[in-house]
Amino acid sequence: MNRTLEHILSRVQKPARYTGGEYNAVVKRQDEVDTRFALCFPDTYEIGMSNLGVRILYGVMTRMEGVWCQRVFAPWADMEEEMRREGVPLYGLESGDPIADFDLIGFSLGYELAYTNVLNMLDLAGLPLHAADRRGLAPIVVAGGTCAFNPEPLAPFVDIFSLGEGEDVTVELIQLYRRAREECWEKEEFLQAAARVPGLYVPSLYDAIYRPDGTMEAITPRDGAPAVVTKRIVQDFDKSYFPVDTIVPSTEIVHDRVMLELFRGCIRGCRFCQAGYAYRPVRARDPKLLVEQGIAACESSGYQEMTLSSLSTSDYRPLEGLCDGLLDWCEPRKISLSLPSLRADNFSMGLMERLQHVRKSGLTFAPEAGTQRLRDAINKNVTEADLLQSCRTAFSGGWSSVKLYFMLGLPTETDEDVLGIADLAEKVYQAWREVTPNPRRGVTITVSTACFVPKPHTAFQWEAQVSMEEYRRRVKLLRENMRGRSIKYNWHDPETSFLEAVLSRGDRRLAGVLEQVWRMGARLDAWSEHFSFERWMQAMEACGLDPAFYANRVRPREEVLPWSVTSTGVSTPFLWRERERAYQGVITPDCRKQCTGCGADKLYPGGKCDA
Amino acid sequence: MHRLAFTKADTAKYISHLDLMRTFQRAFLRAGLPIKHTEGFNPHAFVSIPLPLSVGFSSGCEVLECQLLEPVDLAQVPARMTAALPAGITVTGCYEAVRPVKELCWVNYIVTMEYEAGAPFGAERAIQALLARPSLVVNKRSKKARTGWVEVDIIPLIHKATVEERRDSITLELIVRAQNPGLNPELVVSAIVEHCPEAAPDFVCCHRRAVLDKDLQPWT
Repeated sequence: MNRTLEHILSRVQKPARYTGGEYNAVVKRQDEVDTRFALCFPDTYEIGMSNLGVRILYGVMTRMEGVWCQRVFAPWADMEEEMRREGVPLYGLESGDPIADFDLIGFSLGYELAYTNVLNMLDLAGLPLHAADRRGLAPIVVAGGTCAFNPEPLAPFVDIFSLGEGEDVTVELIQLYRRAREECWEKEEFLQAAARVPGLYVPSLYDAIYRPDGTMEAITPRDGAPAVVTKRIVQDFDKSYFPVDTIVPSTEIVHDRVMLELFRGCIRGCRFCQAGYAYRPVRARDPKLLVEQGIAACESSGYQEMTLSSLSTSDYRPLEGLCDGLLDWCEPRKISLSLPSLRADNFSMGLMERLQHVRKSGLTFAPEAGTQRLRDAINKNVTEADLLQSCRTAFSGGWSSVKLYFMLGLPTETDEDVLGIADLAEKVYQAWREVTPNPRRGVTITVSTACFVPKPHTAFQWEAQVSMEEYRRRVKLLRENMRGRSIKYNWHDPETSFLEAVLSRGDRRLAGVLEQVWRMGARLDAWSEHFSFERWMQAMEACGLDPAFYANRVRPREEVLPWSVTSTGVSTPFLWRERERAYQGVITPDCRKQCTGCGADKLYPGGKCDA
Repeated sequence: MHRLAFTKADTAKYISHLDLMRTFQRAFLRAGLPIKHTEGFNPHAFVSIPLPLSVGFSSGCEVLECQLLEPVDLAQVPARMTAALPAGITVTGCYEAVRPVKELCWVNYIVTMEYEAGAPFGAERAIQALLARPSLVVNKRSKKARTGWVEVDIIPLIHKATVEERRDSITLELIVRAQNPGLNPELVVSAIVEHCPEAAPDFVCCHRRAVLDKDLQPWT
């Protein structure tokens, strides 16, 4: 380790985040490496190392001969200060080498409030922020992840966006880069070639043209770039890479366990849910394979906990069989199994009994809305009877705490819907009283609300977010009507939701705001101790942009949306139809009952959705 | 009960005490060496490190206690464990615990105080004089005290202190009390900074070299 770094590390909190050297971290010999890729996660080590996508891409690249993938995370404020003072540029954890000297730098974008960290990390690396100012072939800055489905606010800073699942396209991109280097291409030549690779969006090859009212006139491609870039998917999920030999951090991270991915996509079609649309079509992994991978991952890592992950775990058809297969191995070894993302309508007795074999953690359900009318409008096909039945199952099995998640400000929401949340919480309490085997222990029902953020590529992508004042009024209304000591009400502040709404549906002009607010000191915005709403509003004003234009405005159907240059495979007419059905209060059955014709099944030739 | 002797260096210096115990629990599983679990509601692999090492210190003499469950050739354990541990941790021995932990009385530290502009003139003698005082009371952080600080006389806790000046550094070789109460060499450095400000180093590097019994013989 270099001496300057050693001096710095003695002065910062949790230095183990900055050293590398963890078990299963891959160190390659410089002489067997021709391409170095900095895999950057624009948040702290603890958050980034908990991300399954990062672990998958790390493994995919590490397996490539001659490629050395190294991890980079956003330093905490104390570390950043020390690095800037001592002149230590941002480095890869595996080698300690400055990432400015790498060939490719890739960011994983999962959350809009991490955008300022992307800028800060480029700056800490000693690189110009703007892609146009980075003239050479190295380093090329790439970005992927869910937020890349509206790449526009980061467009001037990033050379290439990768849409959809990165397992295959990352390999193709690296191969293309190697060819470009061998043949001494100019950067421009390389970018034009990259734009022809399916799934890669090169923002510098598109002109954004605005109307006088601020809406978009068009986004026009140049130099042979496609008009629409469609996301990539892994076609055979059973054959796709799963990180068995994954890095085991030497310091505690947020999700410190084996993550077993059961399937991608979701059959449900909740109209507000970006993940539900963006990760289609449904592709499940074989349960026998999952048992093998789960066991191998536990043996390789020494983790004593495994989580079954997906967008809606109880929708995995062979779930009970999978649990049995895993428990046979886990139980004698005291390895616990956890199942997040359970739905309130199919949490069965059988599943509960399997969960009881291991540690009993809290149960969380997300009804999202307080009345059946509104749940129908958002297509959250959970009935009150389903939810209460699931709660009864849990309570009679001895659970004594339930968390219920809701959104306020959903399209068509009225005060009656808001008050419906309080009613539902009360009914859950009554259900507990009816069935609990130990009434003396009491129960805790935690109700949480967040302000709804309309997202690109959803049925609600045209919607206005309610104003912050209106959200606060609804919170107050709910708070005043929430009864009972056993019911606890938490609400998220609307300021971050408002900013998320601005950035998630923003256009290229917001890049100026990002740069401005970063220069004013914004970074680590996802952390309340670093977040300043006023700073963001000042930056918006300095750039002459009105945040309400992005957050609180209904877009007409014919408006050119900034993200229309990207496609998730789900067709826009389908989304519009879903929006209309929301206003009619008509539900769309889940994809297992009947194919909705969203279009995602056409993402691969001869492919079919495995709903 | 078994003991593992291990060393901690390079990047592993920054793994904290609690994280290190978790790291070992997982490493035993990775190495295929089952160890005894605690009883109770939430059973977990039992490991204990009798003398926690401060974050950032290197060490050539760490000890971890555990109970290997299956009959195993103890001579093979070091290699198997080292292969299952992160970079910078090397297991050097595995043996049946014989001597009780309370016989671990003294710790030998090498403290290197570095000076970017060279070791200050006269610092060596000033430090020698300071540590030769009959009593030297310093403030120490304490979670128990209401003020958050307690006063400690460090002189009775130091068995031996040798000071040696080099061009860019001053090296202290200390033998200090291990436990009840122990003395962290950082406290010696803060006493130097307080009483001999001209000898305040730019950077300090601490290495634990040996753990000793009451007769100053290696404790294992």
